[in-house]
Amino acid sequence: MDAFGHLAGGFAVALAPLNLLLALCGSVAGTAIGALPGLGPLNAIALLLPLVFALKLPPESALILLAAVYYGSGYGGRIAAILLNMPGEPAAVLTTLDGHPMARAGRGGAALAISGIGSFAGATLSVVLLTFLSVPLSRAAVGFSPADYVALIGFALSLLGAVAAGNAAKTWAAACLGLLLAMVGIDGGTGVERFTFGTVELLGGIDFTVLAIGLFAVSEILLLLESPVAAAASHLGHGARLTLAEIRRCVPTMLRSTGIGFVIGVLPGAGASIAAALSYSTEKRLNERDGTFGRGDVRGVAAPETADNAAQIGNMVPMLALGIPGSGTTAVLLGALLMYNITPGPLLFTQRPEVAWGLIASMYVGNVMLLVLNLPLVGLFARLLMVPAWALYPLVIALSFAGVYAASNSSTDLLLAVGFGVAGWMFRKLGVPLVPIVLGFVLGRLLEDNLRRALSLSDGDPMILLASPVSVVLWALTLTAILWPVIGLWKARGAAPGAPPGCPPG
Amino acid sequence: MPAPPLPEAAPHPPRALPRSTLPDRALALLLLLLAALAIWSAQGLVVPFAGDPVGPKAFPTVIGVVLGLAALALLLRPGLGWESAGRPWRGIVCIAAMLAYAFIVVPLGFILSTALLCLVIARAFAGSWAQSLLAAALTAPGLFLLLDRVLDLPLPRGPLGF
Repeated sequence: MDAFGHLAGGFAVALAPLNLLLALCGSVAGTAIGALPGLGPLNAIALLLPLVFALKLPPESALILLAAVYYGSGYGGRIAAILLNMPGEPAAVLTTLDGHPMARAGRGGAALAISGIGSFAGATLSVVLLTFLSVPLSRAAVGFSPADYVALIGFALSLLGAVAAGNAAKTWAAACLGLLLAMVGIDGGTGVERFTFGTVELLGGIDFTVLAIGLFAVSEILLLLESPVAAAASHLGHGARLTLAEIRRCVPTMLRSTGIGFVIGVLPGAGASIAAALSYSTEKRLNERDGTFGRGDVRGVAAPETADNAAQIGNMVPMLALGIPGSGTTAVLLGALLMYNITPGPLLFTQRPEVAWGLIASMYVGNVMLLVLNLPLVGLFARLLMVPAWALYPLVIALSFAGVYAASNSSTDLLLAVGFGVAGWMFRKLGVPLVPIVLGFVLGRLLEDNLRRALSLSDGDPMILLASPVSVVLWALTLTAILWPVIGLWKARGAAPGAPPGCPPG
Repeated sequence: MPAPPLPEAAPHPPRALPRSTLPDRALALLLLLLAALAIWSAQGLVVPFAGDPVGPKAFPTVIGVVLGLAALALLLRPGLGWESAGRPWRGIVCIAAMLAYAFIVVPLGFILSTALLCLVIARAFAGSWAQSLLAAALTAPGLFLLLDRVLDLPLPRGPLGF
């Protein structure tokens, strides 16, 4: 059980005064940004990424801050969902189902409390699982050859298409666009310029912060311009406070939802919204005879919130242990690590233990902070819902652009960020998912490097890609994942024409 | 005494129903064009000596082909895309302001140019002139103080030294 020893070392990093302060700042900022209308976890991290990088924090401190913002925004996102029936992100839709009826019955405070406790339980139990799972997983991956890595990345990308809610062709196209964007600049292997269009500015490749800010923050603002979220006053309500008996009734729900959330989170490509939906429908089915789900059942609030936070932490497992991010947000975290020239993956735990274990330990600390912050101060965060659009969104854009400029000192990057913002805006309106673009961008170089290394080893013989049992299994899974939407298409064609494909019944 | 129930929250503004497959087909054609460009541009990459058996062009070519296939699939089975709430001019004005910002931020300095940008965006978000001026007057110097002075991230200074 050397996990305990490593974890102790991690706590030494996480409890250093600077890191403790950063975890606190990140938790507060994350909750606040999550609570603000229209800004989710991805925007939170994208906004802060260039600032953190420009501040030249040591990598473990930067990661502790960004990760705290990431899971902190999971706590903030539920406030608007419960009090105003306005889910800020897809995963929060499920929270509205029972959370808002509770708020309308005057128990908004109780709903927020149980969701905070659920978030804490889901996150903390998942961090425990992460602590004990990531080292064995990364050890298994140490023996991976470049060819195995090619198969693993192929599998991760193919899962995106399989679990995509929308059009699979659009998901694939988005992933390819990300991969192509990653190739811009000087090719590391040969020194040839690729896709630079003869410009000096693109020689060094596209800066990750520019892509993240443009695609997410700028496009979000442009989208909000069309259908602005109205600021609204909200009340916690004066109904009965959350009782101990209610919390006890939620314990089995929280345990099951943590399990579901964590497992879904570990699978690359499957995000928190799927975990929240699955855990909510599971709990609803298990408690069917009560007939209270959808009318303000505390367990209906606890289930999706627990699963959401468990999945967020579960997403970190493949990111840390294999270097393969499973979601858009972990892709941004991975991008942040790559900016520090740290490659996550099997060797991270042995070569940079202060980064890996410092981050894991800080997640224990951060979640305790968040619980303590959120239970008494939730009313304060709920006031953020009243920030009017004309004050908030200019600040978001100004902060985005200041960050891009500070990170690169180049106004060309500002133009690039606007360009990505316009593209992201169009893509969203066309139903093209943005997460595969970021995943493709982050994984692109890794995929190409490993592919070329593998083929160098075999002198160009492509059979090396299928040489090991690991890669054969992964390619088989990849093929299944690619064919999955096609099979779904067949079935949809056979089914009644009225039923839209891809929507689960009920 | 029971507290009065909360008013029913306003539902989301209904999104306009998609009408045609035209946007998806246009997107597919654009992606097809991009794929062709990527493949064509990759063929021009030549290396004087073969450092590794793959070279710089194989990977972009393969990805270009996959992109092309995805675009073809989309062209053959277009969905009903384009969600619109029908107020595109606000977005266009903001995009123009952001593009202009990239050109004026160095000559004018961070505070002035950011204040102008904030003014446009606040107006686009339906702020009154007074509200928008307030947002601009607080945001730009506030961020400059926080980032440039407190956090020591250099931002461009204009002719007046700020």
